[in-house]
Amino acid sequence: MADNAVRSVDIAIPAAQKAAGFRLSNRHREWIAGYLFVAPDALGLLIFVGAPMILSLSLGFFSVSGFGAYSFVGLDNYRRMLGDPLFWQSLRVTILYVVLLVPALYASGLGLALLIQNDTRFNGFVRTLLFMPQTVSLVVVALVWQVLLIDKIGLLNRLTGWIGLGAYSWLGDPRFALIAVVVISVWFLMGFYMLIFLGGLQDIPREYYEAAKIDGAGPAASFYLITLPLLRPTSFFVLLVSTVTAVCGSQTFDLVYVMTRGGPANTTSLAIFYVYQQAFLFNEYGYAAAMASVLVVVLMLITVLMFMLTRGGRFTYE
Amino acid sequence: MIKRTKLVTAPLKGGAGINRRGVLASGAAAAGAAAFGFPYVSRALAADSLKFWQFYAPGGGVASQSKWFEDMAKSWNDSHDVKVELVYVPNNAYMDGTKLPTAFASGAGPDLFIISPGDFLRYYNGGVLLDLTPFIEDKARADLIPGVIANRMVDGKIYGLPMEVEPMAMYYSVDAFNEIGLTDKDVPKTWDDLLAVGKKLTNDKRFGVLFETAPGYYQNFTWYPFLWQGAGEIQTKDSKSAFNSQAAIQALKFWQDAVNMGVSPRKPLGGGGWDVVPNLASGYCAMQNVGIWAIAQLREGAPNFKYGIFKLPTPPGGKYFTVGGGWAFVANAQGKNPKAAGEFCAWALGSMSPDSIARVVDWCTKAKSDMPPRASALEAGKAAFDSGFLKIFTDEIYPGARAEPRVPPPVYKAISDAIQACQLNGQKPEDAAATASQQIDAFLASYKGAPIL
Amino acid sequence: MSETAAVERQIDLAALRPARIILHLAGLILAFMAVAPLFWMLSMSFKGANEVFGVNLIPDRPTLDNFIYVFTQVDFLRYLWNSFFVAAMVTIIALFFHSMAGYALARLRFPGRDVIFLTMFATFLISQPVIIVPLFILARALHLLDSYAGLIIPSIFNAFGIFLLRQFYLAVPRELEEAAVIDGAGYFRVYWSIILPLSRPILSALAILFFLANWNSFLWPLTITSDQNLWMVQVAIASFRQQYNASWNYIMAASTVVALPTVFMFVIFQKRIIESIKTSGIK
Repeated sequence: MADNAVRSVDIAIPAAQKAAGFRLSNRHREWIAGYLFVAPDALGLLIFVGAPMILSLSLGFFSVSGFGAYSFVGLDNYRRMLGDPLFWQSLRVTILYVVLLVPALYASGLGLALLIQNDTRFNGFVRTLLFMPQTVSLVVVALVWQVLLIDKIGLLNRLTGWIGLGAYSWLGDPRFALIAVVVISVWFLMGFYMLIFLGGLQDIPREYYEAAKIDGAGPAASFYLITLPLLRPTSFFVLLVSTVTAVCGSQTFDLVYVMTRGGPANTTSLAIFYVYQQAFLFNEYGYAAAMASVLVVVLMLITVLMFMLTRGGRFTYE
Repeated sequence: MIKRTKLVTAPLKGGAGINRRGVLASGAAAAGAAAFGFPYVSRALAADSLKFWQFYAPGGGVASQSKWFEDMAKSWNDSHDVKVELVYVPNNAYMDGTKLPTAFASGAGPDLFIISPGDFLRYYNGGVLLDLTPFIEDKARADLIPGVIANRMVDGKIYGLPMEVEPMAMYYSVDAFNEIGLTDKDVPKTWDDLLAVGKKLTNDKRFGVLFETAPGYYQNFTWYPFLWQGAGEIQTKDSKSAFNSQAAIQALKFWQDAVNMGVSPRKPLGGGGWDVVPNLASGYCAMQNVGIWAIAQLREGAPNFKYGIFKLPTPPGGKYFTVGGGWAFVANAQGKNPKAAGEFCAWALGSMSPDSIARVVDWCTKAKSDMPPRASALEAGKAAFDSGFLKIFTDEIYPGARAEPRVPPPVYKAISDAIQACQLNGQKPEDAAATASQQIDAFLASYKGAPIL
Repeated sequence: MSETAAVERQIDLAALRPARIILHLAGLILAFMAVAPLFWMLSMSFKGANEVFGVNLIPDRPTLDNFIYVFTQVDFLRYLWNSFFVAAMVTIIALFFHSMAGYALARLRFPGRDVIFLTMFATFLISQPVIIVPLFILARALHLLDSYAGLIIPSIFNAFGIFLLRQFYLAVPRELEEAAVIDGAGYFRVYWSIILPLSRPILSALAILFFLANWNSFLWPLTITSDQNLWMVQVAIASFRQQYNASWNYIMAASTVVALPTVFMFVIFQKRIIESIKTSGIK
């Protein structure tokens, strides 16, 4: 049945050409195919993300009451942002979070994927266990880690007490809270990135490794000369996506929301959390939109930079 | 050299049954079914009934509370043409979530809903709250306890009808007290007492006293009594900040000392400082600053746990105050039928008819364990309010309760940051109070909404 | 020649065995660290309300009451079905659309291709709470409120999958398609018969991730539906929390039940991810 569909599409184009009385060149056929393939997603994204996004961000130039009153205020929200110490604090926290999280996720995702990439039953079992943190909701994550990290009687404190380091409040001490959130984020997300790297590792033809072994290369050399270079598209993806989600992803926001609510003393108040607070707890949609637009612009710049540096994320090596 | 490949569909090994064609076919079928309404598509709830959004019914976690709402809705629907329909929103999502703001921002707000004092100004200043005064008879108006109704009133008009009053108190574990030779006669009466007793109760498995540490409206709410006890206020009569005061500084220092002395944890267990079973009943702390709702919680979750209650301690030269929270019914002035909505609120909670009073009593004694916002209810439910733990509230704790302040978000944040900075980040209370005061002043200078109380 | 090869192989194995053991051990330790916190979830599911926060891992009085409550007091089976239906539909449709778009953006040449890609990617840079109000207004205007369609359709479109698939297709050797195109095959046929089978590993990975994300989604289902019959599992679990009371034992029991299908999905699909592709005859 699907074969007929395929055939019919491929008959349709030449038939249309005949009907139209001219021949489409191969180039044009490719153009049409390209646009048609991209159309459903492009349309969907435009309607369900693009349009709301433009509407939301343009609210940055308004003062919005949240009950239907809009008044144009030009750049007032942006000026307010510049003078808002909480905004700058949230940017600092976000940068720290990204700098700690992204390398940790890259290393753990790749490391785990390499460890269990071979098709054995043992590896399958380990793989499942490594992925399990992803299968539970963040409410559960927050609660079980709270029990582990709680002051005095938490498991981690019992361990540190046992080895003589004393007990600390890992979630309630401004010195440690952000690090705790990073650790929990890595624990939660490493299965996700492990999966992506697994997919990418399968992209590399086995013959290359076999050829390398015949040539006498050890595992380290194989890694540096074959795996890493051929993983570049996936690596690019992981670095960009983990950065973006660390700054504005739902998972990031949800984690902070359930674990610390931005505390203690604003030390885990990530930018995305502050945006949410302003929008939904303080009713300042315009201001929140202005901040969100700044985040989008910064991320866009980073994205464009990364694409330019890697020639569009295409790592052709032919 | 490139070998020409045959175009073959790669067969799935092992016949796992996940054949591409099959998946696509079933996907198309299901998509079609969904689009054509299997089994629900755009089913509008009855278009002209009043939607009442709250976090109790139908199907909320506590059966008695859900039943109270359902009985009330049924009773109204049986005797009125315009029906009321209960819509349940999970509590967390209702209070801190996006559902309500989204609905209001898109002009699809509910006709009836409940709010806490912390939210009052947000909705009032947005023009969404209906003036309920015309629907409330004078006798009923006089029946409402002034301290409780004050923060739902603007210019002498009532905009919300409270369901309950939830005062804050201190709970303690009887076993922990006995361990160090204390009895209920030895409950701390001053701040220093509390810290001293707390220190004695602290050991390597337990903290002495627990205060809320997570930033939020709730933390502010539990801290205000300590400000008031020293005769402190948030603002002066002519709308200037009064926060840079000795009272504020000593209250901030009190919470700071509790943490620095190791008597208070930096992080509560469970849901937070309001969650009594994971904290007090589990032995994580020996005393806990928590509200009247803990009675019902402990009854459900730790029926064999022996505890006592005492009123908040005071500073030297201070006067006893506690804070009373509690939610109120409000009507959406921009809803489809504000008149009916207003009538409903008054009928439910603000009428002198016996069933209205009985309803308030039932809510406060059967569905929950709370103090009532009306004098007649206090009278009618005397039996319940004078027995068991409720008696302590009625006699000692409730007198002296001030209503939760209604503050605009920037003021809330300024105070919250001060509390967090002192309690958890070791900032000097003098500096924190001064900074917060400046921020409050800056805001009040351009504030043009209803008065903050 | 073969003798030396045999000797080499033996030395190879001998050298590998301790290394392999270390790797296996490392894997086990990491797996344990990943799973250990979840023991508490399991433990709390079997504890009564009064000992949920006790420090003991093994319940003093284990009970099945929490699970019984979750399935009898609440229409949990219905919510599980809702989540399954929505997640499955979104996954299937999204995989289809995204692989088409990703292939075109990676392999086909057409004017504006990279601009289109960057624009699509730009939609990834915004977070859901920020756009939720206009999205809600839009969904209402399209009559998607309180319906499965409203739960499914907006969740399909997310640039993450498109980006990942594009990167994947970039790395696929061109020779395969070029041979097919020279043979006279249309673009759709090339996509259907060559590209899709090749993408099985990455599509399996994405199937798991999409299903998981939609299975556990909370914010959008909460916003778009008020009808309890349309609740998804995470909204239902949220209803176990009240204002000053949270039934942590029910929440943990329900969460354990909710986690199981996704673990199951992972176990099934993970084999497909690591299927090594013999590279269809390129010499």
